[in-house]
Amino acid sequence: MLIKSINAVLAVVAGVGGALVLFWVLNRLVGLLPGKWEDRLKPYVYIGPAFLAISLYLIYPAIQTIHFSFANADSTAYVGLDNYTSLLGSAGFRSTLVNTLLWIVIVPAVTILLGLGIAVLADRLRPRAEKLAKTAVFMPMAISAVGAGTIWRFVYAANPPGEPQIGVQNAIVTALGFDPVNWLQITDFKFNSFELMVMLLWAQVGFSMVLLSAAIKGVPADTLEAARIDGANERQIFLKVIVPQIRGTIITVFVTVTIGVMKLFDIVYVMTNGDFDTNVIGVQFFNELFTNFDNGKAAAIVVMLMIAIIPIMIYQVRHFRTEEAGR
Amino acid sequence: MSVTERLAPRPAAHAPAAPRRALRRQGEASPVAKATVVFVCTLWIIPTLGLLITSFRTKDDANTLGWWTVFTDPASLARFTTSAYGEVTAQANLDQAFVNSFAIALPATFIPLLIAAFAAYAFAFMRFPGRNVLFIVIVSLLVVPNYVALVPILQLYGDFGINGTFPAAWLAHIGFGMSLAIYILRNYMATLPKAVLESARIDGATHFTMFWRLIMPMSVPALASFAIFQFLWVWNDLLVALVFIGPGENQPITVAVQGLMGQQGQGWQLVTAGGFISMVVPILFFLSLQRFFVRGLTAGSVKG
Amino acid sequence: MRRTKFFTTLMPITAVALLATGCLNDAGSTQSGGAGNGNTGNTVEIMTGMGGDLFNAVKASLDPYAKEQGITIKWSPSDNFNQLIVTRVQGNNLPDIALFPQPGIMKDLAAKGKLAPLDDVLDMNALKSSMTPGTLEAGTQDGKLYGLMMSMNVKSLVFYPKQAFESAGYQAPKSIPELLSLTDKIRSEGKTPWCLGIESGPATGWPATDWMEELVLKYGGPAKYDDWVAHKINFDSPLVRQAAGTFEKIAFTEGNVLGGRKSISSNNFGTAGNPMFRNPPGCFMFKQGNFVAAKGIFPDDVVADIDNRVGVFGFPPATAGGENPVEGGGDLAGLFSKDNAAAKKLLQYMSTKDFGAAGAKTGAWMSPHKDFDLANYPTNTIRDIAKIAYGSTSLAFDGSDAMPGAVGSGSFWKGMTGWISGQQSLDQALKTIDDSWPAS
Repeated sequence: MLIKSINAVLAVVAGVGGALVLFWVLNRLVGLLPGKWEDRLKPYVYIGPAFLAISLYLIYPAIQTIHFSFANADSTAYVGLDNYTSLLGSAGFRSTLVNTLLWIVIVPAVTILLGLGIAVLADRLRPRAEKLAKTAVFMPMAISAVGAGTIWRFVYAANPPGEPQIGVQNAIVTALGFDPVNWLQITDFKFNSFELMVMLLWAQVGFSMVLLSAAIKGVPADTLEAARIDGANERQIFLKVIVPQIRGTIITVFVTVTIGVMKLFDIVYVMTNGDFDTNVIGVQFFNELFTNFDNGKAAAIVVMLMIAIIPIMIYQVRHFRTEEAGR
Repeated sequence: MSVTERLAPRPAAHAPAAPRRALRRQGEASPVAKATVVFVCTLWIIPTLGLLITSFRTKDDANTLGWWTVFTDPASLARFTTSAYGEVTAQANLDQAFVNSFAIALPATFIPLLIAAFAAYAFAFMRFPGRNVLFIVIVSLLVVPNYVALVPILQLYGDFGINGTFPAAWLAHIGFGMSLAIYILRNYMATLPKAVLESARIDGATHFTMFWRLIMPMSVPALASFAIFQFLWVWNDLLVALVFIGPGENQPITVAVQGLMGQQGQGWQLVTAGGFISMVVPILFFLSLQRFFVRGLTAGSVKG
Repeated sequence: MRRTKFFTTLMPITAVALLATGCLNDAGSTQSGGAGNGNTGNTVEIMTGMGGDLFNAVKASLDPYAKEQGITIKWSPSDNFNQLIVTRVQGNNLPDIALFPQPGIMKDLAAKGKLAPLDDVLDMNALKSSMTPGTLEAGTQDGKLYGLMMSMNVKSLVFYPKQAFESAGYQAPKSIPELLSLTDKIRSEGKTPWCLGIESGPATGWPATDWMEELVLKYGGPAKYDDWVAHKINFDSPLVRQAAGTFEKIAFTEGNVLGGRKSISSNNFGTAGNPMFRNPPGCFMFKQGNFVAAKGIFPDDVVADIDNRVGVFGFPPATAGGENPVEGGGDLAGLFSKDNAAAKKLLQYMSTKDFGAAGAKTGAWMSPHKDFDLANYPTNTIRDIAKIAYGSTSLAFDGSDAMPGAVGSGSFWKGMTGWISGQQSLDQALKTIDDSWPAS
């Protein structure tokens, strides 16, 4: 065990040090080239190692996925667009799409608003209080998926009427004299989907808060002072000075959360596995792959996600351009 | 971006060790703001508190009475027990799993961070053909679920015989975490004032020097936040650990705790305790990196 | 590993789902007769999916014998046995013995020649007279025994609160009609007959599939049950509808189930039976496998005093005294190399009728041998459960485990959940399940 601990430390040192040495050596090697070539090659040297890792772990599987999406369930014969047409033609998948869309419309926006709100409010507290508040909001992120599942069981659980309730919500409902409610089975107005969204918000507002808080801390103090001297009130300072300067981070968080929601899997899987009309794309992908063993349909779902993400990315790149032009 | 930002480059490079003035009148939040924070934090803590209390209760208590009844029925406090914690440590070989988790998580956090930082620097500050396309490709790949990569990688690892070893997990986390790391770091670096780089360039600094001496120190908040998340994800990862390392002497804490669950889930009580033990480390990691989020520190740490 | 197919077969890896049998197709090996590592040493690696108390019980039974024989056992227990064994076979990194929790993967490996037949390793005649009916067949592929059952569990059980049940004068029913009239009787006395819950997180619905399997097995007998599991009999068929009809009578009749039909799909399968042990009981019957009677599911105080508080009867046959197959399961020991003397010795020991006395005493393990000494079991409850299995006309393995994953851990679960929660009609549910059966 001591050996393992030493190994771990050595691995960190060797790994990080090795990567540094690698970049340094590559940098020197490219530096030996004539100036024009040096400038041309250096960017690729910098992104090279990252790209290598991505190629192996993401690009290669992604290409294989695209390939599989045109083949049958065990990838032994091509079936053309059958996977796509049969998915899009099934009522079940269309309702899955609607659910996913609902998640995409609601969760990223609310995550940003909550994260921003907490980051801004906490920023005004004394350092110790700020630390405490941020830790509280961050805490759910540190809980493993299994633990989180258990936690929420104690919120939504429904025991038969007359039995003691171990779920918080039903304890309240029964204390008021009503029958316990099967929370996760209320399909009216997609109520159960909203309950699952609450779980995701609880789990990941910490993510948006940490990044946004870091950005807010990076807003140059002089700009705030200047605005104050000009007589701006706190609300104006927030909207006119802070928000424009952290717009890039807001977009970063927004896109990251959106992508996370698009492939959302664990919360829905653990709580309902898509039953009671709560299915989302990530769960359907998982079930096609691991329950139905249908490589083709699973792959087609991923390809549709990759296509859906492109407009967001184009917007993002446009934003870079304007950003760069303004710098 | 905004005019203010262009005109007011961060004090970073020019004024190292800027004194920390009372910039935002910290600690002078309005009562409403304070109440809101307290309210939100309470909401956020309640489920975790429930889990904590449950981990000290007997299984039968937890199954029959809500955890909040410990407040209304103090008698049940007498039945509190640490037996779940005792059983977890005894059954799961936790100290070993703890060491393993560190051995997996630390390299899998810092190596991708460094590699991604170089790539992000190139995307943010260098111009080269294919830059936007490559960037779009990298970020679009974020939507590809990790599951599709597991099988090809497993076969590849099999050929090299590294399944079940720590490097198998390191490499996987480096690969899976890279897209997001580049995305977040590049977006942060893009907000750094270019003027600083221009002047350094005129002084004859190379990209390597600028990266190391200017950009890295200025990116500390982003680096720290990503380090937190990457560490957290690796620490709490079950999938990669299960597939590439599996149960056995190299298993991390998530696999050990999962193993307590049992076929019919009869061990969920143990999992609450195991979950808490495993949660301590990410929280400490978060707290220890929090000092990088304090205003002004970005400026002071340039010579790091 | 050589690949002959144009595509590589995507081997599904998951922490939760079982592996498809199809994923083995690209193993492409032509070896036969047990392709083991040719281990001739005295160290035997045994892989198993068992864990917790059951694993410790098996260890307690086997380790002393191995020690006596100078054999060292290297145990490799894993929750993800099914995934791991396939991975290791593909990587040709074989254990010496594997204890398969279900016959499916065992039979695939046998068909591919990865396992050694046990017919000339074990005393088959002795086994035939001593093993519970159906258990040898479960381990047989192409007429040869490849998997020896060495641990057994039983699903066809109805638990009841002993004192209240007996003092009310209720009798264990001898047939399904008697079970139904007992149900009516309890209800007419103003009490609740059944506790029933099928919530199990992502696996919600499986306890309901157990109910259906039970009824199909009792009404159709083992042969038709096997046909149904192989989809030679549809879900939308008179047999399955008959089973569903009986389930409907028990579960959907107002007043039969604690909390009513609407609470079934949100009631956790593990804690659903607990109201039985209150005074007065919240319900009088609870159908579940023998695992609930061990530490961890029923309340601790009940388990501590199980003989006085818990009674159990076998789920009755369709007609009194008629054919009475029982649903259950067990772990099947498979041998990877026929030349592995030490491993063979362990298997021979495991096949004797007296194997397991030490393990049985822990209360976590049951022998598949009819003539196993019942005195070894620590409680009357376990003795009763064992007797139900030993007295059956045939032990049938869990059908949904043997169906393709798309059905057995997919549409069957979801269909039952949808039907019970009232979101689907029975017709819709049966049709959806039939439609989900993979082609080929």
